[in-house]
Amino acid sequence: IQEDHKLSASELEGKYGTNINKGLSSARAAELLARDGLNSLTPPKATPEIVKFLKQMVGGFSILLWVGAVFSWISSGIQIAQGADSPFDNLYLGVVLALVVILTGIFAYYQEAKSTNIMASFSKMVPQQALVIRDGEKKELPAEQLVIGDIVEIKGGDRIPADIRLIAAQGCKVDNSSLTGESEPQPRSCEFTHDNPLETRNIAFYSTTCVEGTATGVVINTGDRTVIGRIASLASGVGNEKTPIAIEIEHFVYLVAGVAVSIGVLFFIISVSMRYKILDSIIFLIGIIVANVPEGLLATVTVSLSLTAKRMAKKNCLVKNLEAVETLGSTSIICSDKTGTLTQNRMTVAHLWFDNQIYSADTSEDQTTQPFDQSSPTWTALSKIVALCNRAEFRPGQEGIPIMKRVVVGDASETALLKFSEVLLGDVMSIRAQNKKVAEIPFNSTNKFQLSIHETDDANDKCYLLVMKGAPERILERCSTIMINGKEEPLDSEKAEAFQTAYMELGGMGERVLGFCHLYLPENEFPDTYSFDTDAMNFPTSNLCFVGLLSMIDPPRSTVPDAVSKCRSAGIKVIMVTGDHPITAKAIARSVGIISATSETVEDIAKRLNIPVERVNRREATAAVVNGMELKDMSLQELDEILCNHSEIVFARTSPQQKLIIVEGCQRQGAVVAVTGDGVNDSPALKKADIGIAMGIAGSDAAKNAADMVLLDDNFASIVTGVEEGRLIFDNLKKTIAYTLTKNIAELCPFLIYIIASIPLPIGTITILFIDLGTDIIPSVALAYEKAESDIMNRRPRNKQKDRLVNQQLAVYSYLQIGIMQSVGAFVTYFTVYAEQGFLPLTLLGVRVDWENSAINDFEDSYGQQWTKYQRTYLQWTGYTAFFVSITIQQVADLIIRKTRRNSIFQQGLFRNKVIWVGIFSQIGIALILTYGLGHVTALNFTPLR
Amino acid sequence: GLILLFYLVFYGFLAALFTFTMWVMLQTLSSDIPKYRDRISSPGLMISPKPDTALEFYFNRSDTQSYAEYVSTLRKFLESYDDAKQSQNINCTPGRIFDQNDVAVKKACRFNLSELGQCSGKEDKTFGYSKGTPCVLVKMNRIIGLKPEGEPHIQCASKEEGMVEINYFPPGGLIDLMYFPYYGKSLHAHYLQPLVAVQLAIHSNSTKEEIAIECKILGSPNLKNEDERDKFLGRIAFKVQMTE
Repeated sequence: IQEDHKLSASELEGKYGTNINKGLSSARAAELLARDGLNSLTPPKATPEIVKFLKQMVGGFSILLWVGAVFSWISSGIQIAQGADSPFDNLYLGVVLALVVILTGIFAYYQEAKSTNIMASFSKMVPQQALVIRDGEKKELPAEQLVIGDIVEIKGGDRIPADIRLIAAQGCKVDNSSLTGESEPQPRSCEFTHDNPLETRNIAFYSTTCVEGTATGVVINTGDRTVIGRIASLASGVGNEKTPIAIEIEHFVYLVAGVAVSIGVLFFIISVSMRYKILDSIIFLIGIIVANVPEGLLATVTVSLSLTAKRMAKKNCLVKNLEAVETLGSTSIICSDKTGTLTQNRMTVAHLWFDNQIYSADTSEDQTTQPFDQSSPTWTALSKIVALCNRAEFRPGQEGIPIMKRVVVGDASETALLKFSEVLLGDVMSIRAQNKKVAEIPFNSTNKFQLSIHETDDANDKCYLLVMKGAPERILERCSTIMINGKEEPLDSEKAEAFQTAYMELGGMGERVLGFCHLYLPENEFPDTYSFDTDAMNFPTSNLCFVGLLSMIDPPRSTVPDAVSKCRSAGIKVIMVTGDHPITAKAIARSVGIISATSETVEDIAKRLNIPVERVNRREATAAVVNGMELKDMSLQELDEILCNHSEIVFARTSPQQKLIIVEGCQRQGAVVAVTGDGVNDSPALKKADIGIAMGIAGSDAAKNAADMVLLDDNFASIVTGVEEGRLIFDNLKKTIAYTLTKNIAELCPFLIYIIASIPLPIGTITILFIDLGTDIIPSVALAYEKAESDIMNRRPRNKQKDRLVNQQLAVYSYLQIGIMQSVGAFVTYFTVYAEQGFLPLTLLGVRVDWENSAINDFEDSYGQQWTKYQRTYLQWTGYTAFFVSITIQQVADLIIRKTRRNSIFQQGLFRNKVIWVGIFSQIGIALILTYGLGHVTALNFTPLR
Repeated sequence: GLILLFYLVFYGFLAALFTFTMWVMLQTLSSDIPKYRDRISSPGLMISPKPDTALEFYFNRSDTQSYAEYVSTLRKFLESYDDAKQSQNINCTPGRIFDQNDVAVKKACRFNLSELGQCSGKEDKTFGYSKGTPCVLVKMNRIIGLKPEGEPHIQCASKEEGMVEINYFPPGGLIDLMYFPYYGKSLHAHYLQPLVAVQLAIHSNSTKEEIAIECKILGSPNLKNEDERDKFLGRIAFKVQMTE
């Protein structure tokens, strides 16, 4: 913790060896730059590309295939040494296996690089300039060049280039939201106001922005030593959790590799004990491994994920990390920000009170009219005040743009009022022109009102109109009458009571309430030559006529309630985490359904039953609004209890640091947590979360860096769309894997039966690779295009422990049911081919040794014909081809049954996913090309079939 | 328990389905000739005796044991060509295809052992192995329906000249057309395939040397003998090494 904020200017000069007027000398600055390094944040350490590439080469099944390839080469080496006839078969096989690994590796690497590139473009910032005093001169320097002791000048709109202790300031305000999450601009001056350097007014922090005013200061920290730099390194210290899908795929790889290796070793032992040669046994081992490993699957998974990522990008979810796609689907808790995510991040008039009645205004995103009753003359008066007593203006040249989208110069509530009146009254600027402003007192925090005096647009009426708006209770104090139905009536206690009730009601809805009043100045006292003096206040500011109240809120986005209810039916808990006031937070939570209409908080129950809060049974309350101050004093157990017992939770007045605590609490419940965030100080929470979601519009670069996903439109509803996509991809991956695993049995069985029953080999290793990487690839990718099944958003999020990507059910169904059926089918084809060529099924059993003996060239079939070795081999290849075609055709059927998991095929529709049909036709096409087109290339072991 | 039962029933059903389809498939086949014969369009050549290792003969003419196996193999192989065994066989017209398509019971043509001359094993019980003139029988693989054209005959040559003198029985290594076509095991039960005996008179200066010999079938346009991949299609190569 630094003490710089407590030092006086001259002490600072001493400490940093600088001069407040002249700054550092260039030489000294260069020296410091050399010592401290550039004033920039060290980017997180990137893994070298080559390491990433090698990882792809040895990850997953690759290692198994490498082993296969090495075994092939070894056995081919031995065969060459022994001078066997066809030593190159195994050499080819090894090369093919190596190629498969390298190609899939390159592919996966390319996919990953592509998705990283999208993000890389994000993190590139425009080089920042800073105005520095050095050698007594003002210079524009790149902010990177700043060193401690430099004197910098900042003005409204600048980003603060380093941590700065201010030594001079005029009306300076900074937006610290990226650091602390507070969205209100903070005033900055050169006085020391607080012991805590984070709270004191005389320090401005790196990466925050100066909203208005100017300031001069001494640089006290640069680069990674700045406060933000320390937070950033804190964020990189929070370990990156493995994504659920990565865990799932790892689990799957272990499972399949385990099966492959154990079956392989088992049969290696069996074949050795059956007195096969060791060399042959090794070749069987390779065959079994190749048959068992779904070579194309990991590539398919990557493609499916990136397809989904693309689809999500279209829906405004930009996914940085492909695997995050699925994580979103398994999300069980979403911790969402309020402002901007659930709400429109724009003050809008929500309610009006005049004529003793509350009216609701339309708060949707694209309002063009307002539905409430506007016939009362009170409304006419009120609308005039709203239009006139307002300093906000539209930026010129926006005539074509819808009112709600126009850019306004002015603060949030004035903007809301301006747009509101523009919608209702039409051209506000011309109304103001017709009612010329003659005097004005802007709003300030002492008097809490804003006042202006106008000429009226009525040419016959020469009196001035005084209009005023401000905090309702302050306005009411100044009024003696109140306008009801256009008539001024004295403000008696009954009417004041009505005002109080309305004020409380609107305030209770979490809305910011403003009061409006006016006064027509008598013409005799204030002739049109009268000179108004706002300092002397030579006009009345009391005994005014109260006209009405307007209340404003940052309204929820219109798509959010629907999205929240979707989450609810999908079993996802939505927790609101906001820095806002509990009342506002609760009101918004209620209006979007985070707190449902029927549920109550402890306080609500207490109020209803009229008992103290302490006596309420906490279990009865389904909802909870937790204040940040309460949270601070809570033990972890208490927090866990809240998270457990309440299904609807709002955290209000929370600091971004507390967000991390909340996320960790949720994770302790075993939940998969998605967190939204925009500020720099959200980045630890974003990193900690299973999936961090940064806001694309409001988000800081640090948040975007720490997040796994970026919401381009900052809209909560997009998260829900993302969840749907994530669940869909999980479902579809399940389908893909089930589809891919099925044929592995049909590829494995031939080897097992070959070893046990000694029949001619039904399918060759290379042929297997052609299925895995040829015919089956496109169909399995096509499953990624499968539409969602009807219940996708109605089931609970999957349980990380129980609901695995590859569970027993899926494996058993694929392997032991469909897989076995496929094998039986393929064997029928195999036996048919041999029988039709003269070898009846029973004669095939046990012939392997003679069949493969190249010295036997008069091998007799069931009909007395004699075959040479090559003729037999050729027949064997025909068998391979038939087996291959048989599996391919059965995979078409398999593809169709895999289209659905829960729905019936007719519900899902056979033709809704056109890509499936592309898959089927490609499958058949590739099979035809392989059998008939390439049937004469020996190395491929295909032969034309009849 | 229920799951076990399910798998029992499921696999039982699959097995039944498999058996049934196989049965149906077998019904479509004739027991006389295979449905397709496209994978063996041309016959391969093979020799008897066939040494265990590869097609390499190693023997010592003065050591009976070293060639005992060859002799016994030959003897066994020629048993079925015994006159007594051929009593049912008829004498066919030499030089002509013996077409029996219309006959229900296919007759087999007689192959007289005497045609093998010195290699018939009648005069020389060791088939020439003791004399340094070992006999090797060359036979053509049986293929149903094959009708050789022209005048097929076996011709052998050693790779290096002057090491061996080759004699053929029947003379010229002729394979008579009357033994064709073959009608398959069940229809043509007593069929004997024609043989050509090749007698290798190894020159005395070439003993102890490995003599590579290649035999080919010649003189018939529809019998291939130069297939690149199939080294046994219409030809056969073997090695002989004799010591004294």
